[in-house]
Amino acid sequence: MSNSTPAQNKADPSEQPQQQQKPQVLEEDDEFEDFPVEDWPQEEAEQAAGSAANGGNEHLWEESWDDDDAAEDFSKQLKEELKKVEASH
Amino acid sequence: MNSSAPPWRATAWAPTSTPVASQVSAAPAYIPVQARRSLASNKINHLPSNGSPAPQPNMSAADEAPRPRVEFPPAVRLYVQRCFAPENQVASVSHSEMQEKLRHVITDAAENHKLDMIDWERLALPQVMIQNERNKILANPSVSNWGMSSLPSSPGDTGRKRKSTDTNQQQSGKESPPWRKANNRNRFEDRVTYPSTEKKQRMTLDDSSKSKANLEMRKKRFEGVGYGNSGTSSPVDSPSRSVDPDQGPVVGRCQTLEKNYFRLTSAPNPDTVRPLPVLQKALDLLKKKWKQEGNYTYICDQFKSLRQDLTVQHIRNEFTVLVYEIHARIALEKGDLGEYNQCQTQLRVLYAQQLGGHPTEFKAYRILYFIYTRNWTAMNDALADVTAEDKQDLAVKHALDVRSALALGNYHRFFQLYLDTPNMGAYLMDMFVDRERLTALAAICRAYKPDVNIRFITEELGFESDEQTARFILDHSSEDTLEEKHGSVRLLTSKAAARFEQAKAEANRIVDIKGQI
Amino acid sequence: MELANQFRRAYSTASGPDLAAVLTPIATPNNPHRLHSFYQFTNIQYLNKDLHTNLFHGKSPKVPKPEQNAWVDIFAAYWEAVGEVLKCEDRHPGSSAVAIFTAWKKLANALIRGYSGSSGLPAWTLPCLYTVGKFLRTFAIKADVEAASQDSSGFGFQDDLSVEVEKNANLEEAARIMNRMFTLCLSDRAPIEESRKWGIYETTNLLFKTYFKINSVGLTKNLLRALNAQSDDLPPLEAFPKSHIVTFEYYVGVIHFLDENYAEAEKHLSTAWRLCHRGAFKNRELILTYLIPCHLVTNHHLPRKELLAPFPRLEQLFGSLSNCIRKGDLVGFDQAMSAGEAEFVKRRIYLPLERGRDIALRNLFRKVFIAGGFEEAKDGQPPIRRTRVPVAEFAAALRIGTHATGRTRVDTDEVECLLANLVYKGLMKGYIARERGIVVLSKNNTAFPGTGV
Repeated sequence: MSNSTPAQNKADPSEQPQQQQKPQVLEEDDEFEDFPVEDWPQEEAEQAAGSAANGGNEHLWEESWDDDDAAEDFSKQLKEELKKVEASH
Repeated sequence: MNSSAPPWRATAWAPTSTPVASQVSAAPAYIPVQARRSLASNKINHLPSNGSPAPQPNMSAADEAPRPRVEFPPAVRLYVQRCFAPENQVASVSHSEMQEKLRHVITDAAENHKLDMIDWERLALPQVMIQNERNKILANPSVSNWGMSSLPSSPGDTGRKRKSTDTNQQQSGKESPPWRKANNRNRFEDRVTYPSTEKKQRMTLDDSSKSKANLEMRKKRFEGVGYGNSGTSSPVDSPSRSVDPDQGPVVGRCQTLEKNYFRLTSAPNPDTVRPLPVLQKALDLLKKKWKQEGNYTYICDQFKSLRQDLTVQHIRNEFTVLVYEIHARIALEKGDLGEYNQCQTQLRVLYAQQLGGHPTEFKAYRILYFIYTRNWTAMNDALADVTAEDKQDLAVKHALDVRSALALGNYHRFFQLYLDTPNMGAYLMDMFVDRERLTALAAICRAYKPDVNIRFITEELGFESDEQTARFILDHSSEDTLEEKHGSVRLLTSKAAARFEQAKAEANRIVDIKGQI
Repeated sequence: MELANQFRRAYSTASGPDLAAVLTPIATPNNPHRLHSFYQFTNIQYLNKDLHTNLFHGKSPKVPKPEQNAWVDIFAAYWEAVGEVLKCEDRHPGSSAVAIFTAWKKLANALIRGYSGSSGLPAWTLPCLYTVGKFLRTFAIKADVEAASQDSSGFGFQDDLSVEVEKNANLEEAARIMNRMFTLCLSDRAPIEESRKWGIYETTNLLFKTYFKINSVGLTKNLLRALNAQSDDLPPLEAFPKSHIVTFEYYVGVIHFLDENYAEAEKHLSTAWRLCHRGAFKNRELILTYLIPCHLVTNHHLPRKELLAPFPRLEQLFGSLSNCIRKGDLVGFDQAMSAGEAEFVKRRIYLPLERGRDIALRNLFRKVFIAGGFEEAKDGQPPIRRTRVPVAEFAAALRIGTHATGRTRVDTDEVECLLANLVYKGLMKGYIARERGIVVLSKNNTAFPGTGV
């Protein structure tokens, strides 16, 4: 919200004791918090102005599968499991 | 528009006023611009002056009206539009009746500042409200058709009576009623002995038997007169009638067991309200009547008046829970999901107060109900209500398994669970089992080639016989999707795929509309 | 009087935030007696006169008379509210949260009158509206808590109990007042540089928070519809301060999320994420709480370690789940789901996360396909993967790690059912030939679309 309520600024540790004895209710644990400032330049945003509009965050996500080196192990486990079935027949 | 400077930018930001969060602003977190000096700005004078009523959240751009005028939110306007839409007209409700009701609904909402609180999209249309009110009057029991009423059986009532605890009159008397079969833990229920007041009952019923008489009564009620069928005299201007809601509960003194339901619009007359001991006897009577006569219209009405008497007297105890549970079970059995849902909502509140009853049984129903209505927001709430202890309960576990099987598209598991449903959950599952069959068939037709034996479908999708399967397939596709080959009937998957896809979409669409009850 | 000086300073520089700071009902560290000294500077009898003198006489900016009167009304209401706040802090008998709320409502109404009436408060003072609205909400919540502890019975003349309805009576009332603030901003037709339209998203955000709190998310749709209807007359969203945009986009994203409209949700949450201030830890964490499940559903992307690392709570929520999905570890996936269930359900992310099981299953079956190796290469041709895979091999893969003893946990029909679902959902390409007990998978690296095999 606006930067008009300095005493609400939870980032300032000196505030805490005072707020606790006051009747004001603090924001709930899982509620979206008011920003201490109203606006900020893009450089201070999560995706800084420099990075590409769409690709800036790509390095933070990855594909959902994993061609790991354990493929051999899996192959072996699978063969064993199949043998068990044949044995039980 | 883009280029003009917004006021928050046209503002001098006093640096001292910018709170500095430790991580936040090393550099000034604002764009300094020239301070605005002129305060004598162009006056804003087109708005209605001070005292105008609260809700007007959408001034239409067109009217620069000189005097204050209430503009209704778009949702209200859409609601009004729907009221007048030709497809929503009801023959038995005249235009003027509907308009009158509509006017009432909207002024009521505006006066109580509820214009923005009401979910207009889901609010019943005035014509429907009028119909419902009429039905309530007409639906009162009359001796003439009593005991002969046979309601159509619930939609999914197939030949397979799995857990059905149906106790319609045609069944032998030794069958226990559904609520007994479902729960044999009702000590409280068993404690209450049934008094012999049948004769009196019959008389009161006779008094209220004609719907005309009911209409008359209803009319009187609006004129401030007590119920006509209470059996006790009620002085016209009894001072006790004007009980303020905040002045505490009504203490009833009506001794009659049966009472028709009316919606209250003012404080009830204690003469027409039954105290707890009478209500307990009334419940016994109703259980007996339901078992013997199975007249749902009558039973439902009686239960609603029972609930009302409990509410106005602030009775909230184990008995209250029992009443809602029994009413819910009966509504379930009859496929009256509107009534069932009302009970279910109240039960959730009651269970939260730890008043006893059968919370796990109903938590399970609730999950199944939200599967049926596809209300995922409510489902999330229902899941949040399930405790680790609840999960040990067979019915809860079953309902959770049903939910997750469907969420994952595991029709194989779903139909295994369907065939093994505890308590009265099958009545709920019957409501959506065909929909899930269509969903499964859509997947099967896309995944198998070139065809599958319909025996496979019978077994996988919980059908009773290949004949039933074939009939179901034909009902939703066409003859050329089935073929006889090597002595078995086979479903030609590629031919049928599009048909089932369409049928599935249709089934889901219908429920999305109906689910809004 | 200190407060009047603050007011005059803010007014002469036309600083909305500074002006709003004057109207906060709390003391500041550098002025701990702020409220007391303001309250004690006058009494109810001389309130208006003293306010007039202190706020506007002497070396003060030239403020038109009607505007002056509006501020006197506003500060008179503020003075009374401060009185209630102080009473409560001093545990004065007769003080109550409800009394504070009632007094603060008067302030909110006086402020609304100040904007809508002929006094016409200028748009740069809008932060006052935000601050008063914000505390209106806070005090309403307090009042509801107090009312609940005094157990006002929830009985009326309704047929049924009405506990749920009564629980938020004060906050619902606050919502109605906030709705008027919303309208005040939306309906202003002054030239845009002077318009209260600049307050529209911040008042909307206030209502969003409130509707979420009273569990009436459905009502947010009315706001969105009203905004949509006026969208042509509003400045573009990018022109608003980032705090307004980020909060708005977060809530709109969550609203779509709760409707299972994940693609739309992802768009809004991504915007919120991009613009969010890097220092706003808690808000970034909240945005990701919903953005991660969105990505999983829409494009099956998983968060990298680097993304989760700064957020221990997110690491705990999504870390092992993501690993299990990647590795195709169904047993681990199920364990992670049930371990996190309470938290997932509370955050309303259980249902989308559950869909990750399909991806885990796809990855497991993909491994079966890869383990199947290649057909014998025909002279000189590049090797082709074995595309006819017995259903029994998929079944065996499902049994690995399940410690199934005796009768196998999954029967062939169930395995086929799982396969059918993957095919139906497009995660696997091919078909089941039931009589032959095999799955015929698509050739040319399209058996598991998009994954390279």
